[in-house]
Amino acid sequence: METSYETIVIGGGVVGNGIAYHLSERYKEGVLVLDKKYPMSGTSGSTQAWVWVHNKTPSWYAEFNMYSAELYPYLSKKIGDVEYKRTGGLSPFFNESDREKAKQLAESYRKIGIKIKVLSRDEVLKKEPSINPEVAGATYSSIDGNVNPFRLIDMYMRAAKKNSVHYSTYNKVTAIQKYEGKYIVVSDMETYVCKNLILAGGTWTRELGGMLGINIPVNQLRGQILVSEPLKPFLNYTISGLRQANNGEVLMGYSMEKAGFNRATTLDVIQETANMAVHYVPSLRKAKVVRAFSGIRAMPEDGFPILGKIPGFENLFVAATHSGVTLSPLIGTLMTELLVDGETSIPIDRYSISRFN
Amino acid sequence: MLDKTTIICRCEEISYEEIEEVIDQGARTFDDVKRLTRCGMGPCQAKICTNLVANIIHEQTGRPLHKIPLPRMRMPLSPIKLETLTTDSTSFSAVKSVLDEVELEDGKVR
Ligand SMILES: Cc1cc2nc3c(=O)[nH]c(=O)nc-3n(C[C@H](O)[C@H](O)[C@H](O)COP(=O)(O)OP(=O)(O)OC[C@H]3O[C@@H](n4cnc5c(N)ncnc54)[C@H](O)[C@@H]3O)c2cc1C
Ligand code: FES
Repeated sequence: METSYETIVIGGGVVGNGIAYHLSERYKEGVLVLDKKYPMSGTSGSTQAWVWVHNKTPSWYAEFNMYSAELYPYLSKKIGDVEYKRTGGLSPFFNESDREKAKQLAESYRKIGIKIKVLSRDEVLKKEPSINPEVAGATYSSIDGNVNPFRLIDMYMRAAKKNSVHYSTYNKVTAIQKYEGKYIVVSDMETYVCKNLILAGGTWTRELGGMLGINIPVNQLRGQILVSEPLKPFLNYTISGLRQANNGEVLMGYSMEKAGFNRATTLDVIQETANMAVHYVPSLRKAKVVRAFSGIRAMPEDGFPILGKIPGFENLFVAATHSGVTLSPLIGTLMTELLVDGETSIPIDRYSISRFN
Repeated sequence: MLDKTTIICRCEEISYEEIEEVIDQGARTFDDVKRLTRCGMGPCQAKICTNLVANIIHEQTGRPLHKIPLPRMRMPLSPIKLETLTTDSTSFSAVKSVLDEVELEDGKVR
């Protein structure tokens, strides 16, 4: 069993796997991905998986998300069908008073080249006839869509393995030490040595940082989702709050609660989610719910991704963020550039961990 | 011993062979197999296929059956209409709207 690697990625979610796959395009050996369970068991397996740009603020952060959404069609060509669909995204509002805010949003995005339309009630209903006729309007952007997160990880892994990336799953990292310019990574099954170490442990990244005495300020934010039985295709767009998957299931939910690492689903949030869903799309009343699940977002303290080098630790990198599905191809691309070329094609200084000092 | 083409998950039409393949990829629990193949996501919500899959994992990996975790059981245990879950409440606390999250500063988007 090999124990010496050029680069080790800790965490095999959409973020860690996105990095591993993109790295494997540039160098063909010496990459190991470690995961304490099987990838998808973390947050990447319990997500809405919208590839979502519009409504993100400030506009520079929306721009960052847009670059990633732009990469998706190429990614699908490279690694195979990940069921990415650029459906367009619709965010309905039910109070006329929100129209002004929607217009401000469209205006601030116009400057960076993201087109958002503010739709009238009739325009919304024409686009998405199933929406509640009480709707006042919606913001709309054609860049938004969604992807199948399980397919995404599976295809990343298959492509990365083809390019000689090694995986060790059900193998938890328990300690990390720095020793003579290298990192020693102790796990349940083995002790590894590497030059470059990438911390991509999602909502557990604070714990990984702690192993080296580094504070990575990532907190937990739970989200709960309801899944309907497969329905015949009837939703045209990714609606902020619900979407219909390829197999006809509707995934409903956009909730946030502080509940630590507790992945329970709770009746109060399930009820609120049901209320939201039937408020947006009344015909869902009669749809049957077959599943509920919850996931724990990694939420950096100021809400923005933590990406890049960790100052004071040579060859140590971090990538921890919410919206990881949307950002995965871009984070994979940029982290690869950082490792291989020493600089990135799009500046990521803004996302440096040093901002927390 | 089951034939490779035997359907293990009838709802999602997943064969023995497909399950064997993902165990080969590293899947070790029912939930791993489910995420990789959709086995267990059908209308019966894994009632029919759970034990069959556990047996295959046991056969392939030699892991004792009692050490193979059961799928996470979640509400609702059997399908119910969404309207059964709705309430009269019109206020939201945990559930957000993305537009509400857009912050304005001096009347402009931040
Ligand atoms: C309800 C919900 C809805 C969401 N909706 C969207 C959306 O619509 N669009 C979007 O872009 N994002 C969405 N997100 C966020 C998105 O799902 C996450 O940002 C993304 O999945 C994070 O990926 P990750 O790879 O960082 O984390 P994870 O998938 O959690 O991966 C981290 C991995 O690290 C491993 N790990 C941790 N510690 C160790 C250790 N010590 N040793 C070894 N391995 C370890 C874990 O096992 C895990 O597999 C949503 C999240 C939730 C909860
Ligand atoms: S048989 Fe597998 S979900 Fe029904």
